[in-house]
Amino acid sequence: MTLLDLAGVARTYNDGHPVYALRATTLTIPEGSYVTISGPSGSGKSTLLNVLGLLDAPDEGSYRVRGVEMAGADEALRGAVRGQLFGFVFQAFHLLPGRTARENVEIGMVYGPSRRRERRTRAEEALARMGLGHRLNADPRALSGGERQRVAIARAVAARPRVLFCDEPTGSLDSANTANVLTLLRELNNDGLTVVVVTHEAEVAAEGGLRLRVEDGIVTTHTEEARAHGFT
Amino acid sequence: MPTGSRKRRRRADLTTLGLVVPRLRLVDVLAESALSVVRHPGRSLVTALGAVLGAAAFVSVLGLSSTLGSQVSDAFDARRATEVVVNADADGPATDAAWQGGPALKRLTRLNGVTAAGARVRVPGQEVRRAAAFTATTVTAPVVGLDPASLGVVGPRLVAGRAFDRFHEDNAVPVVMLPRTVADALGIARTGVAVFIADRAYTVIGVFDDVARQPDTLTAVVMPFATVQPLAEGDVSDQVKRSVLVETSPGAARLVASQAPLALRPEGPDGLQAVAPADPQTLRREVEGEVTRFALLVSGVALVIGAVSIGNAATAGLAVRVSEIGLRRAVGGRPVHIFVQLVGETTVLGGFGGVLGALLGVVTTGAVSLYNGWVPVLDLRVAVLASLGGAAAGLAAGFVPALRATRLQPVNALHR
Ligand SMILES: Nc1ncnc2c1ncn2[C@@H]1O[C@H](COP(=O)(O)OP(=O)(O)O)[C@@H](O)[C@H]1O
Ligand SMILES: [Mg+2]
Repeated sequence: MTLLDLAGVARTYNDGHPVYALRATTLTIPEGSYVTISGPSGSGKSTLLNVLGLLDAPDEGSYRVRGVEMAGADEALRGAVRGQLFGFVFQAFHLLPGRTARENVEIGMVYGPSRRRERRTRAEEALARMGLGHRLNADPRALSGGERQRVAIARAVAARPRVLFCDEPTGSLDSANTANVLTLLRELNNDGLTVVVVTHEAEVAAEGGLRLRVEDGIVTTHTEEARAHGFT
Repeated sequence: MPTGSRKRRRRADLTTLGLVVPRLRLVDVLAESALSVVRHPGRSLVTALGAVLGAAAFVSVLGLSSTLGSQVSDAFDARRATEVVVNADADGPATDAAWQGGPALKRLTRLNGVTAAGARVRVPGQEVRRAAAFTATTVTAPVVGLDPASLGVVGPRLVAGRAFDRFHEDNAVPVVMLPRTVADALGIARTGVAVFIADRAYTVIGVFDDVARQPDTLTAVVMPFATVQPLAEGDVSDQVKRSVLVETSPGAARLVASQAPLALRPEGPDGLQAVAPADPQTLRREVEGEVTRFALLVSGVALVIGAVSIGNAATAGLAVRVSEIGLRRAVGGRPVHIFVQLVGETTVLGGFGGVLGALLGVVTTGAVSLYNGWVPVLDLRVAVLASLGGAAAGLAAGFVPALRATRLQPVNALHR
């Protein structure tokens, strides 16, 4: 089933002069895909991810999530989709200092439907799955970069989203931790989670079943799979 | 209705997506506020500082003013509150002395609340001369005649000799008591010497340096009421003042004042004027009311400054919380969640600062009172009010930074 559906979506910034960060893009992402988005710096990778993740709104085109139009949707609907269907992992982790790893993971669920007790057990499960069952009460400032990113992934998946959006998830990590994160993402995808990863690293981009390349706001692909999904 | 159809559409979309209709769970959002406050004690303290100072100023100003107010009125109450003076009107019965006589005073003394009553006459400026050949020192002083009862009301404090008594009164003995200032001016160092007033000799039997009531007596030569009569009758200045001094039990002064003229002069009470000091309760309330109004003004200003300071600190604190706010939005938080959380934080901090400041104010009031030997008087409701005021200031102060935070777009907040 089609999960995410872009049709003629464009995003233009106006910085005195227009910056075509994302030119008219048509793209379909089926449930369960592993999508990688690569390209040089400033090419529009993050712009595409933000549009897909409803962190940013396009200026043109139609974006459907499970068939529901998101163009012109209000913040309540967009927030609910972000909170309940999507999960996010960023290069900068965005963990809150002064909160334990478990509390940080719980923040991923606090605006959703689950209750306090449920949030707690889910957070502990997610951290255990990321190999951090012994660091539940650690402050993120006391964790290594790799551990921090695994807390962030736990936060993103604890609410049991359908799509995981990652913007340069390994950008701040060494090769050992990068491999670790890639393994986790692969496992999550094997469990049925749709994964969308922005990266400028070839090693990470190679993970994708659907490999997208962005250059100057234009999205292209080289994989047969992509063409099979109607992407040209 | 556009909003109604919009809501319906959103509901339908959420159902299609299999999502739960998002609700604002206040308990969860405020729990986030609380965690943010307790896990960042430094930031919290800086933010709450304005409320601490405001509440401390509020409580200590009110506490010290009420403490001070009660000291003043305690000292002030004790004697003045039990005093009534009855004067003859200027055009009243100046020569008719019956209202100062024994039967009239007896009637007055029978009134409820009267503990003592006596007659007084005051003759203006007389030349007082010491009876010694080798000096010509004179002093001009009023002469006051007091019977034993009114002498008791005035209550002179003797530094030498004795006071006159019923015997001196009944026999109009020519004796005087001098205030120390007059005695010193005349060079009188001991009792038993004589002074001349209008060519009559009087024996000095006592010297006093203070009085309990009627402080103008401190500049007057005092003699028995009966002794002064020839002097009063011979005076042509028309300035002789006749009064009855009354001592009452505490709290009775007003009532006694209203009844005294009729008791002294049943046939013409209108010619007499009874003066009682302001009721100490009313007076205290008036004084405290004024002080309290001032204190409230000061404290109101302090709280406003506190609110502004909380607002400033919270706004400045936002700079380091941009990514936190972006993240909360990314994980499904709506602007209203952000708003409520931040206002919750400043309210908690304002209330906490208020409690801390109130404690500080109580301690200050206690310490200053202890140092000065006062009995601290502090209505504890003031401390409660200060804490609530702090919370209110925090609530008001939170609106600006919270509104500002809701305008942050998640995409900008997360990609800094
Ligand atoms: N908020 C913004 N305002 C103006 N220009 C922006 C903004 N965000 C991104 N851009 C521009 O859009 C282009 C694409 O940016 P981005 O998607 O972040 O690139 P990438 O993630 O591939 O490095 C860049 O030229 C960038 O400068
Ligand atoms: Mg980028």
